[in-house]
Amino acid sequence: MSPFQLLGLLVVGTVAGLDLASGPQVLLARPLVAGTLAGLCLGDLTAGLVVGSALELFALEVLPVGASRYPDHGPGTVGAVLAVAYIGPHQLWLGVMLGLFLATIGGWSLRWLRRANAVAVAGASAALQAFVPGILGQLHWAAFRRDLLRSIGLTALAIALGWAVGHLSAPPRTWDTWLNATAMGAGAAAALNGALRNAGHGRRVAALGTGLLAGVLLVAFA
Amino acid sequence: MRPELRSFGRLLTIQASWNYERMSGIGLGYACEPLLGDLAASDPARSGEAVLRAAGFFNSHPYLAGVAAGAETRAEYDGVDGKQIERLRAALCSPLGALGDQLFWAGLWPVVLGAALIAVVFGAEWWAPVAAVAIMLLVRVWVTRWALRTGLRSGIQVGVALQNARIRAWIPAAGLTAAFVIGAAVPLVVGAEDGVRGGPGVLAVVVALVGLAVGQRKSVRFTGVGFGLTVLVAAALVSLVVG
Repeated sequence: MSPFQLLGLLVVGTVAGLDLASGPQVLLARPLVAGTLAGLCLGDLTAGLVVGSALELFALEVLPVGASRYPDHGPGTVGAVLAVAYIGPHQLWLGVMLGLFLATIGGWSLRWLRRANAVAVAGASAALQAFVPGILGQLHWAAFRRDLLRSIGLTALAIALGWAVGHLSAPPRTWDTWLNATAMGAGAAAALNGALRNAGHGRRVAALGTGLLAGVLLVAFA
Repeated sequence: MRPELRSFGRLLTIQASWNYERMSGIGLGYACEPLLGDLAASDPARSGEAVLRAAGFFNSHPYLAGVAAGAETRAEYDGVDGKQIERLRAALCSPLGALGDQLFWAGLWPVVLGAALIAVVFGAEWWAPVAAVAIMLLVRVWVTRWALRTGLRSGIQVGVALQNARIRAWIPAAGLTAAFVIGAAVPLVVGAEDGVRGGPGVLAVVVALVGLAVGQRKSVRFTGVGFGLTVLVAAALVSLVVG
């Protein structure tokens, strides 16, 4: 991996982390997008698309509603793509497992960020009450910098683990196909559970079922 | 730079200072600051109070927070009582949150992402995910601008403006389309994975059905990430022992 590729991965993961927590929340944090961009950086678009699509199934379950707790998939996807770029898509399950593990750590880091922001706001309560000029901008951009550091740190960890998995994993085995199927089945369960939760009632459930049937028929006959 | 443009720019990162105490309050106050500039010149005391009010507790959908920023600002210029403005702000949290969640998080996002996934399965390359981002960026810019202008135009009457807003009518169509597109995308993505046919294909379906059964039980706190990690670790251990 060249220094430019490393820098590219770091930028993609950091932007993904920022997009989720700070904004503008325009899908840059989604695994499909982060995976594709990471794949482009590495010159292995297939790895990016395959890993990004698989992890997107898990991410579809979650709505990034403000106060709720959710994983941060973006930076972790970068590490997962790096791992699969080294080991090949036949061991996709390893990349998916790494991506899910990093998404969990990402979720914890979001809670840390929000608590740190609350501590900063509480510490500035006197300045806020007296309305010291520029205090809102200071608090806001300090929080943004905190998120920047969080995203950089998470992406650096993802790259390190992705490199390690890519170099230390066992050679391909016949079991890999079954493990890949397990990963995709779990992803399907996550996406459909999320879709059912959002659909809630009548017509939307029917639309979900119709879509599911259309997808199955396309897989069977296309 | 024009105050409205500065406020618009700040609204794009309104969630940056999100915290468990005031939620998006600091971000909203920061976005209102440029809009209250003229008030600072004419009535400095009221201006300080107005910014403090704007930075209090607030939580809604980030795409639509501009409605609250605009309405509060307009109400401040109109000389509306501070307590009434605080009530307006509190009253806007839930409707804006619900509208945004249904229209964007549970509507447009899944539609765009599902369409991009299906496009990738059928051979689209990098451009499909990039197009998804471009679409959402355009939507984000348009909606943020619309929200801010609607708020600034309506002030304390913003509830009426929201009731009559055309975007409310898009919710049913967005929800139905999202459900259909995600329904179609899931089997296509799973089926596109090399080797997930025959026996492994059956395993994928079984794992999906087990996950669905567990996830739909109200007594279980299901997360897709937790389920995925659990079954993958278990399957990897089985493969090590048996294989």
